Amino acid sequence: MQHDTSFYRSKTFNRKKMMVMFLAVFFILVFLIGRLVYLMVFCSEYYGQKAENLHERERDIKAARGKILDANGTVLATNRSVCTISVIHSQIREPEAVIAALVKELGIDEETVRKRVEKVSSIERVKTNVDKETGDRIRAYGLAGVKVDEDYKRYYPYDTLGSKVLGFTGGDNQGILGLEVKYDEYMQGTNGKILTLTDARGVEIENAGETRMEPVNGYDLCISMDLNIQKYCEQAAKKAYVQKEADSVSVIVMNPKNGELMAMVNYPEFDLNDPFTLIPEMEEDLEVSVDSLSAEEKQNLLNQMWRNQCISDTYEPGSTFKIITATAAIEEEVVSLTDNFFCPGYKMVEDRRIRCAKTTGHGAETFETGIMNSCNPVFMELGERLGTDNFYKYFRQFGLLQKTNIDLPGEAATIMHKKENVGPVELATISFGQSFQITPMQLVTTVSSIINGGTRVTPHFGVEIRDEKGNLIKTFSYDSKEGICKSETSEMMQYLLERVVADGGGKNAKIEGYSIGGKTATSQTLPRSEHRYISSFLGFAPADDPDVMVLAIIRNPQGVYYGGTIAAPVVREIMENILPYLDK
Amino acid sequence: MARSRGKENKQRSKPKPVRYFDYSLLFLIIFLLCFGLIMLYSTSSYYGVLRFGDAAYYVRKQLFASALGLAAMLVVSQIPYQIWMRFSTMAYLAALVLCTAVIFIGKEGGGQSRWLYIGGQSFQPSELAKLAVIIFLATVVYKTSKQVGNFKTLMKVMAFALPITGVVAYNNLSTAIIILGIAVCMLFVASPRYSHFVVMGGIVIAVGVLFILLASYRAERIKIWLDPEGYEKGYQTLQGLYAIGSGGLFGKGLGESMQKLGFIPEAQNDMIFSVICEELGLFGAVCLILLYLLLIWRFMIIASNAADLYGALLVVGIMAHISIQVVLNIAVVTNTIPNTGISLPFVSYGGTSISFLLSEMGLALSVSRGIKFEVT
Repeated sequence: MQHDTSFYRSKTFNRKKMMVMFLAVFFILVFLIGRLVYLMVFCSEYYGQKAENLHERERDIKAARGKILDANGTVLATNRSVCTISVIHSQIREPEAVIAALVKELGIDEETVRKRVEKVSSIERVKTNVDKETGDRIRAYGLAGVKVDEDYKRYYPYDTLGSKVLGFTGGDNQGILGLEVKYDEYMQGTNGKILTLTDARGVEIENAGETRMEPVNGYDLCISMDLNIQKYCEQAAKKAYVQKEADSVSVIVMNPKNGELMAMVNYPEFDLNDPFTLIPEMEEDLEVSVDSLSAEEKQNLLNQMWRNQCISDTYEPGSTFKIITATAAIEEEVVSLTDNFFCPGYKMVEDRRIRCAKTTGHGAETFETGIMNSCNPVFMELGERLGTDNFYKYFRQFGLLQKTNIDLPGEAATIMHKKENVGPVELATISFGQSFQITPMQLVTTVSSIINGGTRVTPHFGVEIRDEKGNLIKTFSYDSKEGICKSETSEMMQYLLERVVADGGGKNAKIEGYSIGGKTATSQTLPRSEHRYISSFLGFAPADDPDVMVLAIIRNPQGVYYGGTIAAPVVREIMENILPYLDK
Repeated sequence: MARSRGKENKQRSKPKPVRYFDYSLLFLIIFLLCFGLIMLYSTSSYYGVLRFGDAAYYVRKQLFASALGLAAMLVVSQIPYQIWMRFSTMAYLAALVLCTAVIFIGKEGGGQSRWLYIGGQSFQPSELAKLAVIIFLATVVYKTSKQVGNFKTLMKVMAFALPITGVVAYNNLSTAIIILGIAVCMLFVASPRYSHFVVMGGIVIAVGVLFILLASYRAERIKIWLDPEGYEKGYQTLQGLYAIGSGGLFGKGLGESMQKLGFIPEAQNDMIFSVICEELGLFGAVCLILLYLLLIWRFMIIASNAADLYGALLVVGIMAHISIQVVLNIAVVTNTIPNTGISLPFVSYGGTSISFLLSEMGLALSVSRGIKFEVT
């Protein structure tokens, strides 16, 4: 009680103020609860998702890329297991043992390995593309903190075979060139995933469980390329390349009836298992060493090396184009087999004297012998008879002015004069295949369409898609257009072109026991002053019902450069091998 | 409340008062303490293993400090609180000296030196400062309670609190704000007027704005507050929000927080409430807030019924202390206000803090013991 006198009691206003204070705190806390409701109910999904993204680690399980199989089911492109060796700093217990083992197995110097091992990071890659045996050996050491991850690497068992057609893939299993690009979507497959939870340092949390999504392997691509035919063609191309010291040699083998390509060679080919190294043929041509090149220069050279000249490069077709001129003339009925011509060795067009290959002249000849002689004045005459409008009408009808739509990337378009700009001189030169450019593939496709009875086909490699077990997934179908010329015209052309081989300029392609049609060509490249030539020969067999068409192109041959002399034997050699093979 | 209100006259006539002890407050304290230890264990075990190889490292230290605090609480609760009036000036001066000492010989912690080492034990003098300020101001205000309605007196009393506030603010702005807040609350209750505090509030706001404008890093904090995702330094705030958001209604369950695994830096300190939200959900968080509200309510009851104004002021100081820390902590964690380091009473890791907090609780219990009411 004594305190009552010495200590003041609280007054009513004191209590009221305590109440005010409490209520203030009460309302602030209620407000904060409201804030929590907002965050935890309305923003829950947003923040929760963000947090989950932070905690989840995704590890890809690579899907195996589909194989590429040739017409007989031989594997042309497949995958090989390779390993990636990494070290996880926080898990390493015996750094010296790890360094020693890695130096020994991987064959890299100790300094490099030491740097990787001693670097404080969550995971450090030591080496990729280590073959599986080495990976297995490293795994067998059982060293803590060393991680061996298996991976797939594209592998091409035949190295250089069809390199510019098949193409290769990049580090992420994506197609970079050729069929690998074109059919990427089928072959790629879908990568699987392992989702694990990790803490902030990236350490996986035990017992958190993992979600696994299995990878779906890519589908196999079956193509019409025939390994044996491709090999024959490559050998023949190589022989011509070496003998004639040519810049390059291209060969196309196609079934003219349906557009299936059996071979496509662009010699020299490059190694698909090592696509980023310049081939020796190119390195020799360099004036400086490869190492001194800038990245850009090297890339340009690589692009050049990877180029599929059959479809990406255009050239003046020369005399092989006379097939098209003749077909247009027959179709338009401005010429018959027995029409008579006279070749004095040149033809005057306006004020220009355009020479024949035989400067002394072929003299009097019929249309038939004119083709057999590959006589320029005869075809200039035909072009004149057709006139520009008709000529262009047939170009369009034959499909010459569009792309072939081959199932390979990078096809070049035909480079033809604008119709308005074609005067008599241009008309004359077009008639025998000069002053414009087409791709080799375009020539093969257009001539195929003429001699197969008049059906424009789409050249292609892709035939069907099958799964791992060989079940058919998809069969590709390609456009074809019938009636681009009359079947009589087609038959007449078969006859005429057989005559060329039997008794004309293409007799070097003759094979005993087979009827072969064909046409030679020798074209001079621009600028004419350099005297560089492209020799080619286009042949097909059997002449009256062709199953196979072969085009051989030799670019810049040294010495004799006549197509009939040097390209026709290449085609003959190929046909000698593949005709019996195809008959089986 | 009704039990003792307005019965002064009767108390004199009835000579047999019954001593009161606030068991509900004691229960709340023990419950909060246990809850805090559990959550601290859940939150700190990751860092404990990571740094000391011992999941219970932090919780063991906290348990030790809690035991010390509980002992202090029991002792203090048995001592008549009027005694502290005699020691108030001494406590204040001691706190002032220690807080000054820490500036010069403090141990580095998070960039600013806030700890003193005494006999191998770390000690945070700013925690002592809070208690000292409560005791000291209660004494000063009590003695001037007749004139505190006078603005001049009010300012004089405030001036007493300024030295320690300044010293603490030197390296721990958050605690300085709390000390100032406690002082204002005590004066608010003691003064019969409201207008003075409106003026004071205005001054505080003006000074605060000036303060922010003067230092660019404070302005940056405001920017981070408005858009935590846009700034690298918003990391802590953002990680806290991730934790809160991923809790949802009922949380992931005790121990299941992902954000405590290193994503929230030092989650066991100021950000522990976000882990509570993640593990126990909105439900758990609201329950915890309600517990604090109950605690604060008990303080108000004790203060209202305290035997004298001195006891009332002591409890008002404690009430202000707890309220300010709870409100500011939750507001920071939910990014309602810009980030500033304030711990959550009874839950956040901090030995000095928990020891002094429990001592304060002893003081409040002691005041509750002074309540006299008659048995009818």
